[in-house]
Amino acid sequence: MLQDLLTARKAAFKDYTELRAQVNATQRVTLLSGNMTANDQNATGGVSARVYKGGTFGFASAAAYNAESVGNVLTAATDNALFMQKNVNKGLAPLPNITGQKVGLKTTPHEPVNQALLIDFTKTLDALIVRECKNLTSRTVVAHCLDIEKLLVAADGADSHWFQPRAMVYVMMTAETPDGDQVELMKPLGGFGRFDQLFTDPAAWLPEVNKLYEQLMDKREGVFANAGLQKCILHPDLAGMLAHEAIGHTVEADLVLGGSVAAHNLNKPVASELIDMIDFAHTAFGEPVPLPVYVDDEGVPAEDVNLIEKGVLKSFMHNRDSARHFGVKPQGNARAFTFSDEPLIRMRNTVILPGKDKLEDMIASIDDGYFLIKTGNGQADATGEFMFSVDLSYEIKNGKLGKAIRETTMSGVAFDLLKTVDKVSDDMAWDLAGFCGKKQAMTVSCGGPALRCDVNLGGR
Amino acid sequence: MKDIAAYALDAMLKAGADKASCQAAQGRKDELNVEANKFTLLRTLFNDSLSLKVLKGGRKGTTTINKLDRESVDKAVADCVALAAQGEPDEAEDIAPLAANKDFDARIGGFDADKLFSRSKEYLEQLKDEFPLIMLEGMTAEFNSENKTYANSNGVLFNTQSEHYNAGSSFVAKDGEKSSSFNYYYSNLAGLNTPFIDLGITRTLLDESIRSLNPRMFDGKHVGKVIVTPACADMLWYTLVECFLNDFSMIQGTSRWKDALDTKVVSDKLTMRSAPLHPAIVGGERFTPDGFESVNTDLIKDGVLKSFALSLYAANKTGKPRAGNASWWNVEIAPGDAALDDLIKGVDKGILINRFSGASPGPSGDVSGVAKNSFLIENGQVSDALVETMVSFNLVDALNNIVGISKETNTDGYAVLPWVCLDGVTISGK
Repeated sequence: MLQDLLTARKAAFKDYTELRAQVNATQRVTLLSGNMTANDQNATGGVSARVYKGGTFGFASAAAYNAESVGNVLTAATDNALFMQKNVNKGLAPLPNITGQKVGLKTTPHEPVNQALLIDFTKTLDALIVRECKNLTSRTVVAHCLDIEKLLVAADGADSHWFQPRAMVYVMMTAETPDGDQVELMKPLGGFGRFDQLFTDPAAWLPEVNKLYEQLMDKREGVFANAGLQKCILHPDLAGMLAHEAIGHTVEADLVLGGSVAAHNLNKPVASELIDMIDFAHTAFGEPVPLPVYVDDEGVPAEDVNLIEKGVLKSFMHNRDSARHFGVKPQGNARAFTFSDEPLIRMRNTVILPGKDKLEDMIASIDDGYFLIKTGNGQADATGEFMFSVDLSYEIKNGKLGKAIRETTMSGVAFDLLKTVDKVSDDMAWDLAGFCGKKQAMTVSCGGPALRCDVNLGGR
Repeated sequence: MKDIAAYALDAMLKAGADKASCQAAQGRKDELNVEANKFTLLRTLFNDSLSLKVLKGGRKGTTTINKLDRESVDKAVADCVALAAQGEPDEAEDIAPLAANKDFDARIGGFDADKLFSRSKEYLEQLKDEFPLIMLEGMTAEFNSENKTYANSNGVLFNTQSEHYNAGSSFVAKDGEKSSSFNYYYSNLAGLNTPFIDLGITRTLLDESIRSLNPRMFDGKHVGKVIVTPACADMLWYTLVECFLNDFSMIQGTSRWKDALDTKVVSDKLTMRSAPLHPAIVGGERFTPDGFESVNTDLIKDGVLKSFALSLYAANKTGKPRAGNASWWNVEIAPGDAALDDLIKGVDKGILINRFSGASPGPSGDVSGVAKNSFLIENGQVSDALVETMVSFNLVDALNNIVGISKETNTDGYAVLPWVCLDGVTISGK
């Protein structure tokens, strides 16, 4: 556990200052068609300081974490802030003070689990795949743990000590189609928690593996989508990606200031009245969210951000500086991934809220369309234009699921798509499998219900 | 660094490793940041790293930490040896044999903070004067220095001291409530002699963003020609390596070219090298992570597959030759003999594509996605900017349908690329 070498420095802060000590520890085992191509254990940690003077920041970090290096990064960050003040001189007043109570650990940090647990699990699961899933071209099983511990002291606001364990197993399968092409599917398993608590029995995950295999065999016999605008049901997994990538990024205040189309849409309708969207801080629907954030990396107590209410854009996400620019209160979206990263405006747990419709009724309501289930990757633009790969989808014919679809893509303008939503399912799914990329990587979660809407599909 | 690497190597062998390798590095990054056309931050990172690999009975363990003190090194060595003991034996695991040990010096005279700031400020002022509709989502201008040593138990010892600058921005054009798609351009630099706005195709991309404020949809569906600019390297060259040439696709056995070495795989107009030692590449790799001195490598020569992009492990695993370097993003495409203007004149109906937002293609090489920052070509002339325009093609088929390659090339310090005209690409509007 990180020793507190930071609090004692607080009394000497002259300007707005943050001090952060952090360790990111990872473990990974990769079995590629039975070959152990990775057996790694990594730890990256250190201390950083950020100092604000007159409208700009100075930042410095060092890998060593001791009294001397804490002093050194404070000095270097102050020197950088002075350099910027001298050369830029925005002449802005100090950042507004934030009030907050110190938040201690909610989850106890732990040492890396025994690597043998990851190795045994991947080997056993791989053997089960070999036994259960015939005619695969290749199979990959990856066990991955990421544990992040942070200790934060800020000039004002809330000091904090935070630990986030995440354990995942990724299963990927490839199979040859009758015409000689290769198709593949991937399934992430796991989430917040320790590997030895989430992954006790490989056989318990066999239903998920078998389902993935069945879907791959469907896709192997799949057809190509009809390109163009189609009536579709987005599976909750895909709705979560839409919430994060296509909408969430456009309402991050730094991107708003940088030219996002959302800049001119505050308090205007941007979606169907059925759409409510929230970036949750730590609790949703009475339960802890997959990635609880109690205090951000600027010492701001984290609160939920109501982004869209009944289709109307209500808020952007902020750090201290952008909140001052827009004259609003920051709500805890400034986050840094490693000790040497500066806090950026990031999402936390971004969700489209469930509605009242039943998924089966939504599928039954479509005569000719598609059920889009899994997405591989996706990108969005300042204009709200987005593109997601769709790795798994099915035709809907006369209200029933038909043939699987080979690889396709969905694209469009996020706010235009949201305006076509006319049914929202009463259930939802969370996704904590991936990383968001925006200068730095970041763990985020997203989620949503199934949506019925008009989608532009790619085809051959 | 050599002392630390030698200590760690000795400790791994004393702890029972049959073979071991170590890479130790210490560096510094100074980075200026701009958001929304305003300076926001100066960041200094003091970086250390230590990567260890232990082989014991053919079992591998690898550990990476960012500490270089004796206590941390001792713990990392113990962890790495323990990992190897738990691993699976694999005859393909090995370390590089002893060849000629070398020291490399790629320093450029140290950090000039005032010059970096003045070049950055100049860029913002030139944008304001010449491209007032451009809004920077972000800009970074940085100086990187590193002292890195690789050593292994076969006696291999390499050291490199390197320095380079990097500068660039991501930007949109904004006019009232209208915004263009974002675009970006970053360069690795060996010095600060050139104003940032004059680097590579920066001016062209800024101008094209402004011209993209009033885009139109592509009408219908058309199978025809596209001209891929050097700004769009990921759509063709990086995808090609990932689909057909790298460790993963070859060990998986899904590469369509797994048995195609020394056979013609694409148009004979294409020669593609992985070239970290090319004079236009800044800060290129001098030795590989598995301990070989880096050399430039022809991946495809005159359409014939000459090398995969394989590490030592993947080469041993597949029985194919190891690549001469591990820097396949330092790609050099040999220029052709056509002027860019003539390539454009040869397109009756098609598009000029500057950025591609697409899915990672599967092993089939089928590529599909949105043509971003792209323009219609009609009757041999570039005309309107496009929006919501999809392109789809098979990568192998497209590279067998190369119409022409420009004699002009662009370099950003990472790659040296011409403009390439492909035929048989499906272009469709909404």
